[in-house]
Amino acid sequence: MLGLLGEQGSDFAHKVDYAHDVVTIISVVCTVLIVGVMLYFAVIYRQRDGKDHETPHIHGNNALEVIWTTFPTLVCIWVAWLGYDSFVDMRTAPEGAMEINVTARKWAWDFQYKNGKRTTGELVVPVDEPVKLIMRSQDVLHSFFVPVMRTKMDVIPGRYTYEWFRPIKTGDFQVFCTEYCGNDHSRMRARLKVLPKAEFERWLADNSEAMKLASMKPSDRGKEIYAGKCVACHSLDGSPRVGPSWLKLFGKKGELSDGKTYVADENYIRESILNPAAKVVKGYPPQGMPSFQGQLSDEDITGVIEFIKTIDGTTKVEVSAPTPKKSAAAAGATPAERGKALVNDAGNLCSTCHSIDGSKLVGPSFKGIWGRKEKMSDGTEVTVDADYIKESIYKPQAKIVEGYGPVMPAMYEGKLSEQDINDIIEYLKTLS
Amino acid sequence: MAAHSASTTAGHEELNYLNWKTGLWSWLSSTDHKRICFLYLYAIMIFFVLGGIAALIMRTELATAGPTIPSIVKDSHTYNVFFTMHGVFMIFLFVVPGIPATLGNFLIPLMIGAKDVAFPRLNLFSWYLYVLGALIGAIAMMNPVDTGWTFYAPYSTTTDTNVSLMVFAAFVLGFSSILTGLNFIVTIHQLRAPGLTWMRLPVFIWASYATAIIQTVATPVVGMTLLLVIAERVFGAGIFDPTKGGDPVLMEHLFWFYSHPVVYIMVLPAFGVVGEIIPVFSRKPLFGYQMVVLSSIAIAAVGFIVWAHHMFVAGISDFSAKFFSIVTFLVAVPTAIKVFNWVSTMYKGSISFKTPMLYAMGFVFLFMVAGTTGIYLAMLGVDVYYHDTYFVVAHFHYTIQGGAVIGLIAALHMWFPKMSGKMYSETVSKTAFAVLFIGFNLTFIPQFILGMDGMPRRYYDYPVQYQTLHTLSTIGAFMNGFGYMLALLNLAWTAKFGKVKAPRNPYNSKGLEWQTASPPPHENFDTVPVVTEDPYNYGVPRHA
Repeated sequence: MLGLLGEQGSDFAHKVDYAHDVVTIISVVCTVLIVGVMLYFAVIYRQRDGKDHETPHIHGNNALEVIWTTFPTLVCIWVAWLGYDSFVDMRTAPEGAMEINVTARKWAWDFQYKNGKRTTGELVVPVDEPVKLIMRSQDVLHSFFVPVMRTKMDVIPGRYTYEWFRPIKTGDFQVFCTEYCGNDHSRMRARLKVLPKAEFERWLADNSEAMKLASMKPSDRGKEIYAGKCVACHSLDGSPRVGPSWLKLFGKKGELSDGKTYVADENYIRESILNPAAKVVKGYPPQGMPSFQGQLSDEDITGVIEFIKTIDGTTKVEVSAPTPKKSAAAAGATPAERGKALVNDAGNLCSTCHSIDGSKLVGPSFKGIWGRKEKMSDGTEVTVDADYIKESIYKPQAKIVEGYGPVMPAMYEGKLSEQDINDIIEYLKTLS
Repeated sequence: MAAHSASTTAGHEELNYLNWKTGLWSWLSSTDHKRICFLYLYAIMIFFVLGGIAALIMRTELATAGPTIPSIVKDSHTYNVFFTMHGVFMIFLFVVPGIPATLGNFLIPLMIGAKDVAFPRLNLFSWYLYVLGALIGAIAMMNPVDTGWTFYAPYSTTTDTNVSLMVFAAFVLGFSSILTGLNFIVTIHQLRAPGLTWMRLPVFIWASYATAIIQTVATPVVGMTLLLVIAERVFGAGIFDPTKGGDPVLMEHLFWFYSHPVVYIMVLPAFGVVGEIIPVFSRKPLFGYQMVVLSSIAIAAVGFIVWAHHMFVAGISDFSAKFFSIVTFLVAVPTAIKVFNWVSTMYKGSISFKTPMLYAMGFVFLFMVAGTTGIYLAMLGVDVYYHDTYFVVAHFHYTIQGGAVIGLIAALHMWFPKMSGKMYSETVSKTAFAVLFIGFNLTFIPQFILGMDGMPRRYYDYPVQYQTLHTLSTIGAFMNGFGYMLALLNLAWTAKFGKVKAPRNPYNSKGLEWQTASPPPHENFDTVPVVTEDPYNYGVPRHA
């Protein structure tokens, strides 16, 4: 009715919103009435000319007291029932709901499915199917809050708690941690992805990558991650790119931009992955690297560290080619859909530095970028068109938007075709 | 409340509690309840200012998404320290001792016609305990605590900040509160003037009495809980640690068993203040006096059995959640009764709009918002959504700031002439009221909307979609802070430099405290007053 709580994503959301609407109407009416009566009395019974007038000696009125004790009591019973009723729904998971194990830790969410598939920071579920989350914490209290589903539950060390919902629409939704858990509490978010059933089944069945990762040597796992996420900015042969080379990095001592020294041990590397701005090596841009908080699991980070230990100058990595061409869906897709797949592809790394919701990451957001007037660091103004985007992808250092660093790697020439770029442009046009 | 002792000789007017002894030590060693009021007032105002600065730093940081003032709030840890500091200072060091220890101390003996509280030296000792607690808390801030004022385990038992010391500070402050409460209970039972029966007591006394009972009964539980947190940290006791068979949810139960009733410690005295102000400026008896008194007692009693409504999603059983939801609604009814009676008091009155009356009417609006938004949070299904979002933050600021703090500021204006013997500038104080009232609403109405949109609390950073509302809230916070500064500096300046002397009874009140000199002599009344009337005996009797 009033729609105050925004989009409804679960089948019990409308019940919560109905209870919310009822109490909103009652509250507004009562507040306006009481404050209105008070102001009315204040005006008509005010002292005139600053002089007291005679007042009657009224002590009270029993009938009124009975009325205004009974009326709020009845209203309270009604709204208590509405709250109770919606609560019972959200605490009663249907028989046979799909169960997903959720583990909370400082500061990420891990999900594991019945077939062993694991994800970090992304919960993927099918639409129209009841999903029950069986949750536990590895360390302190956390809380799993999905606003669009209208549900929330604390996640507690030493016991299991649960919550459930049946998504009624597909899409990407926000998950927040809502129990204070320390430094990166506000970063402990996850994405809920609701897919059509068939697409979900395909996604769930494709467990090969995760299985391969799970049985790998840690250093091989790190190598895979390097090839997917790190290669653009960190070389293995000592040559500087956007960030320092990883050659003989482990155990190295050096100077930071604030004049302090660092030793590249396990904890330093871990911190640099999760909170890159904390310690920046001298000579490198301060905002040059995005945080991988929530994207990499602890095993992933351990793998990267083990991989770094093995780098001796002969290490070679094959950079994975863009994958969307392999995807069956891409073949018959529209240009904008192919562009979206390219932007989201792990090998291309676009979404690591460019948001699509307007928030500022390492680079400018893609939201509303098409046709936008951007001020450049040299003071000129440029309207974002096809030529500008093409230039920015092939030769990122040619023009830099004011307020950003010259940190985008020049690695797309030969990797993305002209056709790919045209598809990406079609996709960007849709992000208004 | 006419008193037979209204006459005093001119010679006695000269010597009052402020000037009958001089020097710093005469204050620090004074057992006069009126001087102890000022000792508390100075001490709590230090923490009101510090807690307020912490709030403004938080609001500035939150004005934009991402880092806003990295030179002050350099990372998320620093932000977490600021919101902990804000909560701990405001709750334990400002609002809890707020009205009871200052106005309670000043008014209880005067309103009941006594020379002092029952145990004057214990009263001074309570103040020293407060100072000791405050100093321990200040030392703890050397390695500042980042747990939030709630100290939830196992975060509080594992973080490497100074939690043990801070928790010990709260423990000591608790004893200060317990002893003050005990003192007031005995005072109200034993020292009432002849003729002042229970049903003739001003509602402020009733509210203070109900508050004192909560202070003495609930505070020991939080003391015990805080000691257990120390035992956990220092000796690894394992009471809240699941790896040793403990339970973190137990900590939440013990914490809220105190910290819910503490809300009534904060707000009941403010109810009492409003109940005193409205009859005087309406020239009418308080409507439904007995119901107002009963509702105070009812709120205090029911307040003890609703604590787990803070824990609907904390992992308590569904049955418990349902029980605590239903009993929580029992608080709503007496609160509503109070509001109805205050407004009805104004019916056919002769209303003048002095500053205290403006605060009292502002209070009614703010408390309607606080109360009705509380209904959302008592409703199970809706609270699941709102728990730990900005909606809760806005709700409890309407309750604690809109209720307790506005009540305290109203009371300071109401009894300022009696306390200082001077009259403040109405123009300045009314301007200050307008600024802080608008600023307050501008701060927290956007926060209600943020809560509706799902914005979680205690977040150093947030998605950019929330930015506009956060910016508005920050503007409101600065306006609110400026209003408080103006209001309090006006009073402080008047107390020190004001030229206009206050008469004995500037509002022509029937209250016993107004029947003695302004400021009162050291022992309050020259002769013991005798009470012959009901309270708030204004207006023309129907059967005269």
